[in-house]
Amino acid sequence: MNDLIPLMVIIPIIAAILLNLFNKNNSTVKILSFVVAIVLPIIPLLANYGTYYFGGHAPLTDYGTFLSLFPNSILNTLHIGITYSYGSMQQILIFFLFIIAFLAILTTIGERKKISGTYMFLMFMGLASVVAMLLSDDIFHLYIFFEIVIIAQVGIVLASNHKEKYETAMKYMILGSIGGPMLLTGIGFLLALVGSVNITDIVHVVKNGLINSYSPIFLLSFGLIFFGWLYSVGLPPFHTIKSDMYSKATPSGSALLQTLSVIIFISIGLAIFRIYNGISYVGTFIIFFSLAAMILSISMALTETDFRRIIGFLAVGELGYLGIGFGIGTKLSLTAALFQGLNEIIITALLFIGFGTTLYLSKTSEINKLGGLIENNPKTGVMVLIGGFALAGVPPLNGFQSKVMLIQSALDKGFPELAIIMILISIVTFMTFIKIFHSIYLKPKPKDLIIEDNKIPKSTTFTMGVLIIMCIVLGLMPSLVVNGFNAFIGGLI
Amino acid sequence: MSDTYSKISDSVNKFKNKLKKDQNTGDNVTSAMAAELTIISTVLISAIMLRHLNIILTVLIILGLGLYLSTNTPIIGKIRREQNDSLDRMTFYVILTLAILVTTIYWGIIN
Repeated sequence: MNDLIPLMVIIPIIAAILLNLFNKNNSTVKILSFVVAIVLPIIPLLANYGTYYFGGHAPLTDYGTFLSLFPNSILNTLHIGITYSYGSMQQILIFFLFIIAFLAILTTIGERKKISGTYMFLMFMGLASVVAMLLSDDIFHLYIFFEIVIIAQVGIVLASNHKEKYETAMKYMILGSIGGPMLLTGIGFLLALVGSVNITDIVHVVKNGLINSYSPIFLLSFGLIFFGWLYSVGLPPFHTIKSDMYSKATPSGSALLQTLSVIIFISIGLAIFRIYNGISYVGTFIIFFSLAAMILSISMALTETDFRRIIGFLAVGELGYLGIGFGIGTKLSLTAALFQGLNEIIITALLFIGFGTTLYLSKTSEINKLGGLIENNPKTGVMVLIGGFALAGVPPLNGFQSKVMLIQSALDKGFPELAIIMILISIVTFMTFIKIFHSIYLKPKPKDLIIEDNKIPKSTTFTMGVLIIMCIVLGLMPSLVVNGFNAFIGGLI
Repeated sequence: MSDTYSKISDSVNKFKNKLKKDQNTGDNVTSAMAAELTIISTVLISAIMLRHLNIILTVLIILGLGLYLSTNTPIIGKIRREQNDSLDRMTFYVILTLAILVTTIYWGIIN
């Protein structure tokens, strides 16, 4: 069933095009997006692990008759066409990605009377792009989809009602005009040096010493690709604009934006790790920028008064944990990083959608103007509280499991300082969350606060319920996903 | 008479607006202090990791950082000012990071 592998990209793209065509027909857009969103999570469960060669261009090793033409040659293993690799890591992440996308789409349908086909187009295009990034073994192919997902992210922000959305989107695009080309230039240097854009081929060439790992061009390609990665995921100096993007989108849009960012983080991060693992200081660079993201984001989150911005900063700060896992570079740390990435997708979706209900009822996101919402909204309040506990790493929720693994991996590698910082940041994250939770739900209600008599849509409550179940199940039974991640990383190192 | 009244009224309104913009509630002050302590502690702990390179260098850097951080408090205000949503500042830091990154990787390490 390897033919199902490209369908994980093709189906969302076709759905996106159709939704854009039926833009004006509200009910068609709703039905089509719902049906596609519910079908998508089934595909990764049915697909077999393996590789898919576009155009049937398999390496020569797959055709025994050709092997005699180039005996013992590197040409036999070279990948001629675009290759998709599908393993346990891709299966887990794509499955959960499709589930989160389904929940985000369900929430959007529930909260809006009229659904824009163009908005759904952007959601599905973003989804298809990150799935392609996860599957692709071709770094140029990865770059193409990276650019598409950036445009989709900007579009998702533009679809909100926020008055500053155009300014933020424009700033993101301007900064992208620095980050994107740098990434492409880095890939260009790599191509010039190795003669291939297939990651497995590049790794093969580097590991067999066919190029000098410390040659200026190879090092420069690392610097440029690394810089592009910082832009794509929102690590410093891009953390301010990334959190700004999250705060300007609709709640379900923000949930999807963060999901897309985490998947970009993992796919480009793994490519960097595989190609440049031989350079001794790569881990140091990743750890430095991850620590900066954690420290700067948490300190900014503490001093903000807009809860959407606070969650945005917390989401960016949490990416630092993933980075530390990649930077430490051991089997345990990489497994923990992937697990943390998955947890972050679930938890931040829960928080964006949960706190989004406050915006839905009060039309303000300024915590100084809010208060007493626990009276109007007790169920949601409790659900958000559980989400906050998971974010801060309170047992027995999923965030606790992945953070403990990360701390353990830092201690094993001989970096107790990293372990201490991760614990400190978790404590401060908890404090920040409690601050916004108190301000929104527990503080006495301000006299001038008008709460609309709208009921929270059932789809939103359902979404939050499913996300909480995921947090609890993954917290109690982490082996459900950790074994899959571990097997994938085992094949990588 | 009406001029005097409008002058007084304007000054009262200005004062009121100033108070309105100032959101230094107890929550905010506590948060700023927590952020200040978080930055100082995490930066100092991070600096200890330099021990993997050189112990003497680590001691000197920690002493220098400690001195700098303690004489420049409150540092969170400066960090907030530098990390606002202004495109100018964002672009400045982006270009600065790119320059430092490429310089360190290309010239700093290979030579």
